[in-house]
Amino acid sequence: MFNDLKKTFGAFIEETKVFLIEREFIVDEKSLETPLWNLELALLEGDVALPVAEDIVQSVRTELLGTTRKWRTDLDEILKDALRKAIADVFTANCFDFDEYIEKVEKPENIVFVGVNGTGKTTTIAKIAHHLANGGYSVIMASGDTFRAGATEQIDKHAEQLGIKLIKHQHGADPAAVIYDAIQYAKARQKDIVLSDTAGRMHTNINLMDQLKKICRVTDPGLVIFVDEATAGNDAVERAKQFNDAIGINGSILTKVDVDAKGGAALSIAFITGKPILFLGTGQKYDDLSKFKPDWLLNRLFGG
Amino acid sequence: MFGDLGSSLRDVIKRVARANRIDKRTIDETVKGIQRALLQADVNVKLVMQLSSKIRERSLDEKPVAGADPREHVIKIVYEELVKIIGEGADVPLSEQTILMVGLQGSGKTSTAAKLARFFQRKGAKPGVICADTYRPGAYEQLKQLCEQIDVPFYGEIDCSNPISIIKNGMKELERCEIKIVDTAGRHALEMDLIEEMKDIHELIKPNQKLLVLDASIGQTASRQAKAFNDAIGITGVIITKMDGTAKGGGALSAVSETNSPIAFIGMGENVDDLERFDPDGFISRLLGMGDIKSLIERAEEVLSPADMDVKSMMRGRFTLKDMYKQLEAIDKFGPLKNIMQMLPFGMELSDDSYQVTKDKLARYKVMMDSMTNEELEDPKIIGSSRIKRIARGSGTSLEDVRELLKYHKIMQKTMKGLRGGRFPMQKLMKKFK
Repeated sequence: MFNDLKKTFGAFIEETKVFLIEREFIVDEKSLETPLWNLELALLEGDVALPVAEDIVQSVRTELLGTTRKWRTDLDEILKDALRKAIADVFTANCFDFDEYIEKVEKPENIVFVGVNGTGKTTTIAKIAHHLANGGYSVIMASGDTFRAGATEQIDKHAEQLGIKLIKHQHGADPAAVIYDAIQYAKARQKDIVLSDTAGRMHTNINLMDQLKKICRVTDPGLVIFVDEATAGNDAVERAKQFNDAIGINGSILTKVDVDAKGGAALSIAFITGKPILFLGTGQKYDDLSKFKPDWLLNRLFGG
Repeated sequence: MFGDLGSSLRDVIKRVARANRIDKRTIDETVKGIQRALLQADVNVKLVMQLSSKIRERSLDEKPVAGADPREHVIKIVYEELVKIIGEGADVPLSEQTILMVGLQGSGKTSTAAKLARFFQRKGAKPGVICADTYRPGAYEQLKQLCEQIDVPFYGEIDCSNPISIIKNGMKELERCEIKIVDTAGRHALEMDLIEEMKDIHELIKPNQKLLVLDASIGQTASRQAKAFNDAIGITGVIITKMDGTAKGGGALSAVSETNSPIAFIGMGENVDDLERFDPDGFISRLLGMGDIKSLIERAEEVLSPADMDVKSMMRGRFTLKDMYKQLEAIDKFGPLKNIMQMLPFGMELSDDSYQVTKDKLARYKVMMDSMTNEELEDPKIIGSSRIKRIARGSGTSLEDVRELLKYHKIMQKTMKGLRGGRFPMQKLMKKFK
């Protein structure tokens, strides 16, 4: 009888063990609510635009709902993994190797840089020129910002410091004509790459966006690169969308990542345009340019 | 899902305005909507959370003021709480003073320095500008060209890399200028050497105003950056730039809350005249979609004589070609039509067609109207095909052009009528809040 009791008790322990350790829970809406909200806040604090953050959190919810998890596995960890995956998907969906592209493309190749005011287009062009020159390509630059005071002087100085030929017209000239001339120059002198600057413009200014369309029509660039800054918040998604809708960008560069912003704008831009992030601008010097890797952003958003 | 990309506080307020009664659920939903709108406007996440819980609490606790219906009650609380954060607009005296411009790279310091000089010049003061940006190539030329454009004294040294010595010389050189504006290089909180340099400049000139220039699109880093600048030199005012785009400027709001310094100006475009005094009530009214008639009228008074534009007659819905002629003239002084329209109460979403009238077109419109008789200007309905022919010949334009002008007038007339018959009694509401 005592043995029976012992046996029963032993079975009970076993059962409890199974109940506690092996039991699986179905992940339901209620248990996800708070942790998902916290993740969304983390994305927002990292400057991922609200609609993008919501969409990504929604995809995590759909993926996890109804799945089972074991007792004592950390829901937060599961969520984080799913989120990492969702974010990585945004970036890996459209891989593009800039250097490989440049190597293979027919020369001369015209690359046009676009973006709103003050995001760092001209500085980025100087960095890309430096990067390509180091790779053994012959590069020229076109001063397509004929509007802003001091713009030509700015790019002129970069050209001088880098020892790169700059094609420029006078202030107020037609930017499409400047870039066209640069391409003709590159053809005549067998240059490889034309890096074309354009004036910063608000995506809401229809006249200036039309001008950009004209530039693309006349100069037929191989690549159109959208330049935006890591310090930007929700507006990044709006302007990336408008530029992409207007002229169809091929990729983006995120500048000013040395500022202590987390750089969620990279995710917003990649998400809305479906185009890759090519480089990060990491400082004021010509060498301060690095290839974008999704891990960089994941680590910035959620720590290493 | 991206259909509601442009959704803002306006939508939330519209929803509340439609609700019949206010209960806990309506309030929760409203607060959630406001939260979303503020987050999307780049207001600091923590600030948003504080604000929304405060609004929820007050909406439930406080009894509506007599005469106000429950929905006005919530709107009023939201409005008040936002006003509390944004504070009063900075008072910008016209007296003798030194102004130091600081900010992140590419936020628009240099353009704003010139705009600010233009502002003081228009007010009758004598400004001068010093370029102390020794880092960015072309900074010197940019500021010099802008100052030449508006005929304001400029000092800079193109080959000198020491901002301190430039400023020393500049202060001497511009001694006779009442208002000295010092533009500095862009820098951010983590660049310790540049922050030190800024402190040295500050120590040297002991400026009366230290203005932080912030891009309207700046995100969550705004608070941290503003704090760093404030800790280093003590910010006295904030200027929000690039407000002519789609960014809402919520980052600037966080900065204001962080530094306890008011917003002085907002930048609305690329021209030297595109700088507006900041009016906190107006800013929030606009954010809430309640219109900002006050600042429109104020601006109209500043640049136009009363005869230039009869706002009241426009609001009454009588809008003749003559009114449009005056309006076109006003646009030259005002800036783009869209800016004006955004200041008006909501409920009148304009089609893009009516905005996109280029400067050239405006000029052509004016020439055509000059070829019309007084009668035609007062009553465009009488313009038939033979009159169109005459006007086209007289102004050297085509029949199409004249017809286009008449069509544009019709669109504008409709718009002006819309202003009068807004669906919500917002003017009444605004009066209550004053």
